[in-house]
Amino acid sequence: MPSVCFYFQVHQPFRVARFTHFDSVIWTDYFDVQKNASICRKVAQKCYLPTNAKLLELIQRHDGAFRVSFSITGTALEQFEAYAPEVLDSFVRLAQTGCVEFIGETYYHSLAALYSEDEFRAQVKLHTKAIQKYFGQTPRVFRNTELIYNDRIGQLAREIGFEAIIAEGVDDVLDWRSPNFVYTVHNSDAKLLLKNYKLSDDIAFRFSNRGWEEFPLTADKFSGWVHRVSGNGDVVNLFMDYETFGEHQWASTGIFEFLDYLPGEIMKHPDWNFATPFEVVSRYSARADLHFHRLTSWADLERDLTAWRGNTMQEKALAEVYSLEKQVKSLNDLRLLAVWRKLLTSDHFYYMCTKWFADGDVHAYFSPFESPYDAFVNYMNVLKDFKRELDKGSSALSKDKGSHSKKSGPRSSETTELLSA
Amino acid sequence: MLGWEYPPHISGGLGTACEGLTRGLARQGVEVLFMVPRVFGDEDSSHMTLIDPLRHSVKRRKGAGPSSDSQSRVTIEQLFSEAELQEIFIPAFLQPYWSEKEYSRQLQLLRESSTIESLPLELSSHRFLSSSALQYGSDIFEEVNRYAAVVSRTARYLDFDLVHAHDWMTFLAGTLVSRQSGKPLVVHIHSLEYDRSGQAGNRRIHDLEKLGIVSADAVIAVSHYTKGIIRREHGIPAEKISVVHNGIYPSEAVQHYRDSSPDRRKRVLFLGRVTFQKGPDYFVEAAAKVIPHVPEVEFVLAGTGDMLPRLKSRVYELGIERHFSFPGFLKGEEVERAFSTADLYVMPSVSEPFGIAALEAISFDTPALISRQTGVSEVLGHTLKFDFWDIDRLADLIINALQYDELRQDMIQMARRELKRLRWDAAAEKTLAVYEMIIHRNERRI
Repeated sequence: MPSVCFYFQVHQPFRVARFTHFDSVIWTDYFDVQKNASICRKVAQKCYLPTNAKLLELIQRHDGAFRVSFSITGTALEQFEAYAPEVLDSFVRLAQTGCVEFIGETYYHSLAALYSEDEFRAQVKLHTKAIQKYFGQTPRVFRNTELIYNDRIGQLAREIGFEAIIAEGVDDVLDWRSPNFVYTVHNSDAKLLLKNYKLSDDIAFRFSNRGWEEFPLTADKFSGWVHRVSGNGDVVNLFMDYETFGEHQWASTGIFEFLDYLPGEIMKHPDWNFATPFEVVSRYSARADLHFHRLTSWADLERDLTAWRGNTMQEKALAEVYSLEKQVKSLNDLRLLAVWRKLLTSDHFYYMCTKWFADGDVHAYFSPFESPYDAFVNYMNVLKDFKRELDKGSSALSKDKGSHSKKSGPRSSETTELLSA
Repeated sequence: MLGWEYPPHISGGLGTACEGLTRGLARQGVEVLFMVPRVFGDEDSSHMTLIDPLRHSVKRRKGAGPSSDSQSRVTIEQLFSEAELQEIFIPAFLQPYWSEKEYSRQLQLLRESSTIESLPLELSSHRFLSSSALQYGSDIFEEVNRYAAVVSRTARYLDFDLVHAHDWMTFLAGTLVSRQSGKPLVVHIHSLEYDRSGQAGNRRIHDLEKLGIVSADAVIAVSHYTKGIIRREHGIPAEKISVVHNGIYPSEAVQHYRDSSPDRRKRVLFLGRVTFQKGPDYFVEAAAKVIPHVPEVEFVLAGTGDMLPRLKSRVYELGIERHFSFPGFLKGEEVERAFSTADLYVMPSVSEPFGIAALEAISFDTPALISRQTGVSEVLGHTLKFDFWDIDRLADLIINALQYDELRQDMIQMARRELKRLRWDAAAEKTLAVYEMIIHRNERRI
């Protein structure tokens, strides 16, 4: 009885505002409220609201046999609450069906796993608390930012308490093996779920490509491809950005009609059903221990990390912002801590990527900045100002040494919890 | 092809562009006969036939027998044997971008030191010569007319498929040659009077531009920016104008200019004419904002022009003279050295048809900050851009580019790749497409 496992990634970063070397901001509010709000509302109208409504309808139509999972970042949740509360409500309604699983990740969609394991643990905990708070679930399956994965990250997630981890089904890691089985994290008992990138990308990237030989893609045709896995696998993992529906693939491409017919077409074959990630790992046993010899992600053809740290600007910016961790945390200032963490979101480094910005192919590249160099300049200007703020805080703290200032009490689990709200 | 200057005897970007374009065209199999007011003999023009319409013929008449190593040579030999040309010296000091005042002064100097033989021009048969453009004397227009006269006469003995004229100084000549030969005319706009002088431009130059643009079968503009101005200033349809961006050949890395000592000051370069169009004043004002934040920095303002004295006193007024140097007009190796030793090149132009210097800077591994009011900003992605008037942004970009080696390193690494795309071959290819289009159109007409 093989399963189709849907997992959708929902993420919105806090984009930083225009900031020059000469600027200094009171209350260290570096984020562009207007732009973030308008993007959030736009994507809500085009994707989140109509797709959530469609999924709810499909779950009801199929009496709960259609099941999906989401990973929603903390930065997205905060923005839904502030700018589009109806989106949050619609996710809550999906959660209430009992057919939707929520997956754990870093609250700030960060690369902390690669730079600070302490910070990584803290952000994963914050995220878990947020999911509990909004949806009444405790995530048992973990996905790291952009499916960035190696053995160490799998083991870390296991240590934190997750029972399964999601990663990309990378060819050079899988070799002759199939992504359509459950594996275990190397030297660990945590299960590993691997994305079937071929079938996932047929929907996420190729769906509306008129130059594609399979265009147009129908639910019937796609289900036929899935059914061919029968006898050759336990699960087909379809992992993609949620914005695929209505935002990357516009409504006019027919993506919603495709989604509408897909569950029925998949389940026309009596062997096939839908399952969420935790249901998959509970139902199917792992076939082998899978060792990853390199860091992988779900990005680009290379499935590597060059989109976030492929040039010296990105490395510099990442090194600088993580170098502030000790100082930020020593101040016990929740506001500054939250600002710093918002600056860790991977999107800021993605905007500095130069590799696609070559050979005049400028327009294929989405970023709020004119160029990767602009993104870098802007980010470093913010960081310089933030560092000045931290230094002010540090010198105030050293003056207060000995006496307990109100501002700098010991960190408690309560303050951490506040942060996630 | 009709040009006004050719390297190394150049006053601006025009000659460099002509060299690059003709080399690219030669590689595409185009045979180029290039006429300039004066050939000095030290030009590197092995890829084409460089013709001084008068002096060459004089030399040949006295000298060697016929050589026949190429088709073009044969043609030239025919010309030399048939031509009955007088020895006339065309003053070669013409600087098309001199102000009229400067030109008159130079002309006066010349008159005092030598003689210009008056030209027995048989031009009255040409309709155009009765137009206003020919009625001015004793200035650059007189030289434009002389050039037109000798070129059109020489061209009678040449075999060619079309006429390609570069900038207004050669448009009269181009128009004459096209009319007398019945061959199509392409005019190539590297710079417009409007760019150099704004609305206050010289009416006569404007008229000569218009003559060429209206007479031409096709117009080539060095950027979309320039194309827009041509349409606006001369009111011709967009279909007639093709855009061919200039290119550049990456020069050999000029490592030996580099001073690798770690404690040397960071250097920011302006290189160009110190005139309103080039925005050197924005460079100075931005520098004043940078210096308090980057104490160890040197701003190099290279070039000459009418704004230089005023800018020097402005630098003193701002009290930043310790951070400034004014090396004057640079040429040849000095230019290479300036580009190679700069950490950053800034092009704050108010209005720049193309701005080939930005590509030159990159070819010397120096990243460029360029104003959005340049043609080159349309083709260069791997750079930081600003509006020329936005001094705060320019200062911000300079500070960060000096502060972060990583920024400069990534910019230059990617820009070098981009430069390949901008090479002259691409420009030549597009030019050839324009040629083919109008030649076919002409054939259909016949």
